[in-house]
Amino acid sequence: MTETSDGGGGPPRVAQLRPGLWDTVNERYPGSMIDKADFVPLAPLRKPLSECRLVFISTSGVQPKGSMPFDTVHPVGDYSFRRVPSASRPDELEIHQLKYPTASANRDLNVIFPLDRLRELADEGVIGGLAENFYTFIGYNMDPERLERTLAEDIAAAVSEEGADIALAAPA
Amino acid sequence: MALDVTEHAKPPRAVFLPWMMGHHFGVPFHRDLQRRVILECLDHLVSAERSGEVRTLPIPWVQARKEGIEIERRLGLRP
Amino acid sequence: MSLQYLKDAAAAGDPEKLIRYVRLHFGDGNEEAGRREIDKAWIEALKPLLDVPPTDREFILETIRTRDPATLAHLFFHLHFYLVQRSGEWIHDGNL
Repeated sequence: MTETSDGGGGPPRVAQLRPGLWDTVNERYPGSMIDKADFVPLAPLRKPLSECRLVFISTSGVQPKGSMPFDTVHPVGDYSFRRVPSASRPDELEIHQLKYPTASANRDLNVIFPLDRLRELADEGVIGGLAENFYTFIGYNMDPERLERTLAEDIAAAVSEEGADIALAAPA
Repeated sequence: MALDVTEHAKPPRAVFLPWMMGHHFGVPFHRDLQRRVILECLDHLVSAERSGEVRTLPIPWVQARKEGIEIERRLGLRP
Repeated sequence: MSLQYLKDAAAAGDPEKLIRYVRLHFGDGNEEAGRREIDKAWIEALKPLLDVPPTDREFILETIRTRDPATLAHLFFHLHFYLVQRSGEWIHDGNL
C-alpha cells in the first residue's frame, strides 16, 4: 500500500515505497546525505509557461553515446556532468549508472529521461520551448560539499548561459 | 521514491511520486502517465505559494505498473 | 560516508571503517553482498589463469612501472567490476 490515512480526517498521506531511507543511507554512509536547515526563497515565475524555455536536469547517468562514460566505479564518485542535446533521439543516448534499476529505462528512456514527452509539450505550446541542452550527472557522490560547490554551481552557470527560464530536476 | 530524502534536501518546489527507483516519470510506454507527471510539475511550478511545498501524485505504484502491463499487452510487447 | 569521514578513518589508521565502505560500494549499500562480490571478483581473476595461458606481462609491468598510484588504484576498482561482470552474476540492478 502506498496510501495511508493519518486518521484525523485530513488529506491522505502518501507513503514512500522504502520508509526511512534517509536514515538508512545516512547510517551506512555518515555525512553523505544532504540536509538543509532552511528553505530557500521561492523564485516567482516571471512569464507565462507558454513562453518559458525549459531545461531538464537529471541524476540518471544518461549521456550521448560516444561521450566519456560516467565513472561508476570510482569509490568517491564522479563530479562531472554531460550536456545532452534536447533534440537527441533516445537511441542516440545510453545510461552509465549502477545504483538504480535501469531495466525499464533501457526499454523506454522516458520513464527516467522524458525527452519525447517534453518535446511534445513544447511542440503543443504548453511550454515555450526546450533549452538546447539538458544536463545529467550521477547520484553516487560521497562529498556533498564538493557536489554543491562544483557540480551544482557548474550546471547552474551552464543553464543560465543557455537562457533557460525554468528547470525540471529529477533524481533517478 | 523517497519523501524523507526530499524533505531533508528542502527543494523550493517538489512533486513526490510513490514509485520505484528508476521510474520517476512512470512505466514504459505509458505516455499519458509520463505526460501527467510533467504537467503536475509545471502546475506546481505555477501554483506553489510557499517554498518547500511538496505536492504528491496519489497514484500507487501497483496501479502504475498494472496500467503499464495492460499497455504493453495492447502493443503486443508482452503476452 | 562522506569523504571527510573516510579521510579521518585513513588518518586514524582505522581499517574497519575503510573496508566497510569498500564493501558497501561493491554491494550497493549492502555490506554482506559487497563481501561476496569481493570474493567473486577474486574467483573470476583466478579462473582464466588455471590453464596458464600466455599473458602480456610486458604490458602489466610497464603499466605498473609508469602509471601513478591513483591511476593504478582506479584501475583496480575498474577490474573489480570487470571481473564480477564476467562472472555472469550482476547484482547492480538497483534492487538491493
